[in-house]
Amino acid sequence: MTILGEVALWISLPIALWGMVVGYWGGRSQRGDLVLSAERSIYATFGLLIVASLGVVASFLGDRFEYWYVASYSNAELELFYKITGLWAGQRGSLLFWALLLALFATIAVFTNRKKNREFMPYVAGVLQTILAFFIIVLLFADVNPFERLDFTPANGQGLNPQLQNYWMTIHPPTLYLGFTAFSIPFAFAVASLLSGRLDARWIQLTRRWILTSWLFLSVGIVFGMRWAYEELGWGGYWFWDPVENASLLPWLTATAFLHSIQIQENRGMLKVWNMSLVVMTFLLTIFATFLTRSGLIESVHSFAQEIKIALIFLGFMGTVMALCTVLIIYRLPQLRSENQIESFFSRESAFLFNNLMLIGVAFTVMWGTMFPLISEGVTGQKISVGPPFFEMVNFPLGLILLALVGIGPVIAWRRATRKNLQKNFATPVVVGLVAGILLWISGARHELSLVTFSISAFVLTVIGTEFWKGTRTRARIEGEGYPLAFYHLITRNRRRWGGYTVHVGFVTMCIGFAGAGYNSDERYNVQPGDQVEITSPFGHTYSLTYEGLSVSLGKGQRNLLWQAIATVSVSQDGVPKGVLTTEKRQYTNRDSQPMTEVGIRSIVREDLYLILSALNDINGAVNAESDAQGIDLQVLIKPLVGFIWFGCFILAIGTVIALWPSVDRKRMAAAPHTGEQQEPALAGAAD
Amino acid sequence: MLILGVVLVAGAVVLFILQPLIKGIHASLEREDDELTETEARKRVALLALRDVEYDFLAGKLDEEDYRSMKSRLTAEALAALEADEVARAGGGVVAADDIEAEIANLRYGLRSGFSCPACAFTNGEGSRFCSACGLSLGERVAT
Repeated sequence: MTILGEVALWISLPIALWGMVVGYWGGRSQRGDLVLSAERSIYATFGLLIVASLGVVASFLGDRFEYWYVASYSNAELELFYKITGLWAGQRGSLLFWALLLALFATIAVFTNRKKNREFMPYVAGVLQTILAFFIIVLLFADVNPFERLDFTPANGQGLNPQLQNYWMTIHPPTLYLGFTAFSIPFAFAVASLLSGRLDARWIQLTRRWILTSWLFLSVGIVFGMRWAYEELGWGGYWFWDPVENASLLPWLTATAFLHSIQIQENRGMLKVWNMSLVVMTFLLTIFATFLTRSGLIESVHSFAQEIKIALIFLGFMGTVMALCTVLIIYRLPQLRSENQIESFFSRESAFLFNNLMLIGVAFTVMWGTMFPLISEGVTGQKISVGPPFFEMVNFPLGLILLALVGIGPVIAWRRATRKNLQKNFATPVVVGLVAGILLWISGARHELSLVTFSISAFVLTVIGTEFWKGTRTRARIEGEGYPLAFYHLITRNRRRWGGYTVHVGFVTMCIGFAGAGYNSDERYNVQPGDQVEITSPFGHTYSLTYEGLSVSLGKGQRNLLWQAIATVSVSQDGVPKGVLTTEKRQYTNRDSQPMTEVGIRSIVREDLYLILSALNDINGAVNAESDAQGIDLQVLIKPLVGFIWFGCFILAIGTVIALWPSVDRKRMAAAPHTGEQQEPALAGAAD
Repeated sequence: MLILGVVLVAGAVVLFILQPLIKGIHASLEREDDELTETEARKRVALLALRDVEYDFLAGKLDEEDYRSMKSRLTAEALAALEADEVARAGGGVVAADDIEAEIANLRYGLRSGFSCPACAFTNGEGSRFCSACGLSLGERVAT
């Protein structure tokens, strides 16, 4: 099976190259046979990449340590589940997995458009095959072939990094990759629109669902990564402006900007060049992120030498795509002229523009901060990293403006908002925001940045809440429906608008969660069994923690585990027992590194109590079960509102799904004769 | 055996891809007849914007004065869009202004009375229960 997979990967290259050539050629010469051949080549590439991926999985399942990739990321003792997910555990498999997902989406795009939107499809097939061919070339020729054999067969593999042996880590990369790859479809349609000369908003309408799908996966994927960091890295945080995190955030930022700015194009015929640029930028950033997250490049320039080939291929591809797209956009510039101009600073267009500016500002900051160590090392020979303070200093103010715009956007009028419009719609929310801030101040909240965030959040939630309320009330009045039914119909009849608002509620909820970090507390105690410590939460209640003792087990029979030390702590809140928390140190056989930490988390709606077994006083004594070696360093963190982040992401996902869901009208229209998808209220966003 | 399998699979793949060229099977490259033209799309934008102003007014988000000024402006835009669409449909011929006035009046009436389709903005005849263009039930018309 593995050999078959390798052969399939080799065959997929000429197939993809063929599809690329005949796609463009068929579009240019308007030859239907060439186009059909190009489209079929996509199905074939997908099939071949499935075989190739199964080949890699088979090599993991069969413990084929003669393959470098298997030997580096697995060993005989690894659990079956992690052997299967070994496909995306390392760079090599990840690249293949990326190509596989792209081929899957390309297949869906080509299949669903086999009878419609035909003027785009030759070029769409051509562009998608270009991207696929690029990844296959990387896999085969950039020293990252997952089927590369070692000169010898090791008795066992090196095993999977224990930090990656976590539930979140198995679903986080695929989710992100789904987001990255799905964005290739809007990109392909955008380029097809440039190549075919069909430059109205059609490509945007056709790919709206793809853009949202990609955005959903990106958002959820990033939050999964945060969740993993929070649970598994054992330092109590979820975001550290790490290069790999930043790389995944970059395309999300530009995709979010794009998602908003396309509405101006649809409604007002403006920003056409900007939207084209954003779609190209986002696509390039997904490629950049893929490259960065799975290479050691950013850690040091020195690893650059080892990865020079793959780096040059990636940079070459990105540079070529950027150059070609720029030429195409310039070539089509006369047809991309704006149909309207912004009439007033106080208008929804202008709010959208600000939103774009802020998002691009954040993206630029993140990009600069991520690349700075590399640039500084390249130029001065000294690596200067910019830490979280840099990112936070620039991004927090921009983020707050963005948050405020979430509240301003929905109610400010298109074109020109009059003073009355502003007063009518903003007076109450502004008052609510201020009152919320003052009340929090009175109740003792003093962290300025968090206070501002809470205050703006209250403003935004009031705006959105009022929108929902007014919409429901109006509907109930006009249609004579009860409020629950009116609310349901309100959402289902314009899913795009109300789904969008729901996403905003999710985003605000997440911001409240982020702001909670202003009240984090972090204490460290050295404790012996029976010791009790007390910590007061910012919400006023007090936790009493009693260290019950350490239980050490030697990992006999347990896979890859040498020993495991579990500290048990009983928790009571204001004197009421709340059960027991455990936190662990684990030493794995196949890593010489430090023992890993497993944290103990107790979540309530308001906050998390987060326990870290920081250190054992006497490791050897503890492992040898000596009774006087039970002392530990216990770190106790209180993380107010952290649950709001995960819950906010959940709301955000629901909102996106509402916006994605085909509307009732659309289904009916599809059933009606002589109407097709184009009758979709593609412009129902006039209200958005 | 393995080689045979590989050759067979590769052969099948190549045949699958080359078949359109060998047999002369052509994929369509034409724009569909029922697809919205650019002028139609503009018309829809204008009409839907008009609908939204109505909604915003009903929901109490716009006061009378703003409502009137925005509406008159949007109506002018809708008029221009309708005209452009008519011109495009008539193959470049000029449409009598009266027709447009009639259509706008009809549309206004439809918007007010609820016969204008909330999904596709098609103006239906009085008493219609379903949209003639897209089939949406007008009994459950939307106020969004």
